[in-house]
Amino acid sequence: MSKTAVTLPVLSDTMQTGRIIRWLKQPGDTVKRGDVLAEVESDKAIMDVEAYADGVLVGPLAAVDTDVAVKSIIAWIDNLPPQPTAATSSPAPSPSAPPQTPAAAPAPTPPAGATPTPTEPTSAPPTAVVATGATTSPVLAAALAAREGGGAASPFARGLATELGIDLSLLKPGTDGRIGTAQVLAAAIGPQLPHLDLGPVHRIERPTPLKAAMADNMQRTVHTPTFHVTTALDLRAIDAAAQAAHQSFTLLLAHACAQAIDKHPDFNACWTPGGLARRERIDIAIAVDTDGGLITPVLRDAMRPLAELAEDWRELRDKVARRRLVPADYTGATFYLSNLGMFAAVEQFDAIVPLGSAAILAVAAPAHDGRTRLTLTCDHRVIAGADAARFLATLAEQLQATQATIK
Amino acid sequence: MNQDLHLRFLRDMLRARRLEERLAQEYAKGNIGGFLHLYPGEEAVAVGVVAAAEPGDYIVSTYREHVHALARGVPMRAIVAELFGKRGGCSGGLGGSMHLFDAQRRFLGGYAIVGETFPIAIGAAYAVQLRGLPEAVICFFGDGAVNQGTFHESLNMAALWKLPVLFVCENNHYQIGTEIHRHSALTEVSKRACAYGIAAQRASGMDAQVVHERTSTMLAQVRAGQGPQLLELETYRYRGHSMADPGSYRPAVEVAAYTAQDPIGAELRELALHCPDDATLARLGLESCSALAARYVQAGHLDTAALTRLEAEIQAEIDDAVAFAATSPEPTLDDARRALRPGVDLATLI
Amino acid sequence: MSVQNITYWQALNRALDAEMAADEAVFILGEDVGLYGGTYRVTEGLQAKYGDRRVLDTPISEGSFTGLGVGAALVGMRPVVEIMTVNFALLALDAIINMAAKIPFMSGGQFHMPLTIRMPGGVAHQLAAQHSQRLEHTLMNVAGLRIVVPATPQDAYWQLRQAIRADDCVIVLEHELLNFEQGPVDESAAPPPPHRAIVRRNGRDLTIITYSRMVKPTLTAAAQLAASGIDAEVIDLRSLSPIDWPTCVASLRRTGRLLIVEEDSRFAGAGAEIAASLTELCFSSLRAAPVRLAALDLPTPYNKRLEELSIPQPADIAAAARALIGANPEENAA
Repeated sequence: MSKTAVTLPVLSDTMQTGRIIRWLKQPGDTVKRGDVLAEVESDKAIMDVEAYADGVLVGPLAAVDTDVAVKSIIAWIDNLPPQPTAATSSPAPSPSAPPQTPAAAPAPTPPAGATPTPTEPTSAPPTAVVATGATTSPVLAAALAAREGGGAASPFARGLATELGIDLSLLKPGTDGRIGTAQVLAAAIGPQLPHLDLGPVHRIERPTPLKAAMADNMQRTVHTPTFHVTTALDLRAIDAAAQAAHQSFTLLLAHACAQAIDKHPDFNACWTPGGLARRERIDIAIAVDTDGGLITPVLRDAMRPLAELAEDWRELRDKVARRRLVPADYTGATFYLSNLGMFAAVEQFDAIVPLGSAAILAVAAPAHDGRTRLTLTCDHRVIAGADAARFLATLAEQLQATQATIK
Repeated sequence: MNQDLHLRFLRDMLRARRLEERLAQEYAKGNIGGFLHLYPGEEAVAVGVVAAAEPGDYIVSTYREHVHALARGVPMRAIVAELFGKRGGCSGGLGGSMHLFDAQRRFLGGYAIVGETFPIAIGAAYAVQLRGLPEAVICFFGDGAVNQGTFHESLNMAALWKLPVLFVCENNHYQIGTEIHRHSALTEVSKRACAYGIAAQRASGMDAQVVHERTSTMLAQVRAGQGPQLLELETYRYRGHSMADPGSYRPAVEVAAYTAQDPIGAELRELALHCPDDATLARLGLESCSALAARYVQAGHLDTAALTRLEAEIQAEIDDAVAFAATSPEPTLDDARRALRPGVDLATLI
Repeated sequence: MSVQNITYWQALNRALDAEMAADEAVFILGEDVGLYGGTYRVTEGLQAKYGDRRVLDTPISEGSFTGLGVGAALVGMRPVVEIMTVNFALLALDAIINMAAKIPFMSGGQFHMPLTIRMPGGVAHQLAAQHSQRLEHTLMNVAGLRIVVPATPQDAYWQLRQAIRADDCVIVLEHELLNFEQGPVDESAAPPPPHRAIVRRNGRDLTIITYSRMVKPTLTAAAQLAASGIDAEVIDLRSLSPIDWPTCVASLRRTGRLLIVEEDSRFAGAGAEIAASLTELCFSSLRAAPVRLAALDLPTPYNKRLEELSIPQPADIAAAARALIGANPEENAA
């Protein structure tokens, strides 16, 4: 074939759908390998969709602001040289100057048939000649018109939901846009759904990908048995030293945690039914609060010198600011650090141990006595109370040592 | 003037007449359902024509076919049981009055659609011709059928290929309630045949002897491969088109005139030495058969005992047939399914 | 005998030849079947071989020459009636529906009906409304008829021979646009039962049921769908009466999604029976309502573009499959 498909990239192994935020190129535009065609939002970040071929962008383009399944085709690049003018010229979609998000319907374009060299007779769709306002042929329209809308649930799912007393309107559809048995079963064996009809009138607001991911991730930790141990340390001196040296206090904390973890390897492990997973590197995720929600960029190999860590941390923060984080940046941590010290009101808090780690350290703001409460939440399948106590002791020592090295 | 032949005609026509009268009664009692098209008045046609047929000939008839089947030798029991919708019927109770079939006697139905007998007949005739056999196909139809497209198409093909078909038109002048002058531009059916180059004759259908003679001659020619022929027989049905039709669209004078030509009466006249005068004939009707018979007996022309015996035999045959029909079992749904495609098991074909 | 690559019409021709040679009771009749060799060449050469009595040119009298076939079948012949196109069969419906389908039944099973009626139908190239009809739904509804719809030369060969050998009335519904399609034919291979459906392509994600001319574009669409990760199972029904429900059900129970692709028009078309029956048989396995992709409920327009728009095209098939899966049907699959 003389065309290359442009597909929605898979940005993580859990990503099922993405949303096209905007098209940077329009049908008819000449594109080169590496050009950015569109921006796509995944559950964590905005990604660029690159062209992998040279040619002319050809529609129909997938709609913006609609969930599209990964690997599905969102556009085409015609490898043949661009046509002179005539019928193949772009049917002028409204967004000409600002590449804003156009109307929900994909821009009506002359699809493959635009090239006057049909390959096989069967592949020259006669419907292509009919570049009318409607993009579907009448035969297809008739076939799909009589069906229930996409929000419906499958008959079996509906029946199951009725039997189990589950309110279908509270469920999130699957990737095909419908509520299926999987969704109903998940609701049945998962957390109970609230009886919203007992309260005031409500509407369901769709979450952003980031918020949805957070909900999913936290939901999944429900079965982890945890306990908390808190210690109170006077970190005012370190904080002051860090500020004076223009270093990130959080980074210093992370560095100190790494040293402590190194001496207490269980804190770098992770529980599996088959046994403890021991990781060969200490990767510490640091919780970051952004406009869109919680995100956890990961410092890889946190045992490296501080200067290197600082460089990585700077890059990560930059990506967070530009919403350019990729899955490789925020997945696979072995230990978590959450610092709410910038919020003076927070005297103490405990965090949730994410899957994939055995512990998370929650750092509050200095209390009225000048000391900061650090709360370690641990997976009790991996760590016992005494282990946690010893870890915190080591951590305190490390923090002292770190302070000494700050320039 | 073959006495035996006349007796045979009388016997068959009386059987036909008495049977049809009895069927009307059974219909009124509810033992026969649907449509019932009766034949009284036309007996000479079926009896005369079928008497001229050989066992190897094929007969295709219309929905007014009881007498054709009877004349052909289909047992009266089988006919009555079929009308009663019973398994003992000649079509297993699945066809009814309009669909009598008898494969063994080459009686090919029995059709409710006017004009269907033509293509069936030329089909059977084509097979006969392909096989090179000296057989003929007799195709019955009414005056209404000659306006159906199949009449023209089939006569054309019959003539084109010189098929061994004798087309017999039972012209009783009516297409249900529409008299022939109101349904046909050309009321002499036999004249239509020339459009296809087919030899045709026209004769009175009220006289069994005439019918038989003409038919015999024409059939011999047809079997000899001279091509199809058409015989138009003028006749009259004394009753309405069917049980549902009182036939009141016909002027009483007309009915009376034809009743006077009752073929059974004609047979009785033949068997007698002298014919009654015209004035006497004017008063003849159905009941007049018995009256005429009585007169002949009085005049010594007819053997009372023989006639009485004949009537008694016929009555017994009819009673027996009705009793048989009444006690014959009903067909089952399995019978119906098997009849749909006899000998073919759908399950083995998927 | 080896496998040969021949056209659909040649396969029909060979089937007729084989049956004519094997049984003197077989004879062919129809318009221009003899001297002319058939307007679609199906009877080419047969009159020269078997004579003008066994390959009979008829006048234009569909009703009566089809009825002639009925009459001849009643008395033991095996006529093969060619009705030039299915459109003309309307003139012969009395013979087909009132006679052929019913005489065995009305006679209480006394008479068989070893009659074969062949007719090509469907939308060809701008033949306009009266020459482009699909009447399968009309005939499907008639008890007493069987209908085969061969899509390949091999099936044309097999199913015509089986029809002629059958003792009941079989309609062979061909398609004008299939006549010059080539395909392998093995004349000595044992045929499957005449009404068994064949899975032409195995798949996981959806079941596409189709027949006759729509089989090939459906397979093309399935190949395109495969390229984007949708694995379609394609069933060639081969028969519209009876229908091989077990094959369809086995497939649908696995995939849970049904797409019917037919050239028949949508309202009360062939697909309506298929959709209704399979929904009844497989309701608990269905993950979505079936989709019927059919021709518009419109007489076929003469205008080329409108004619194309009025029947399913390959792009429609892929798009309908996507819609059934739940993906965006608007994605161009061509």
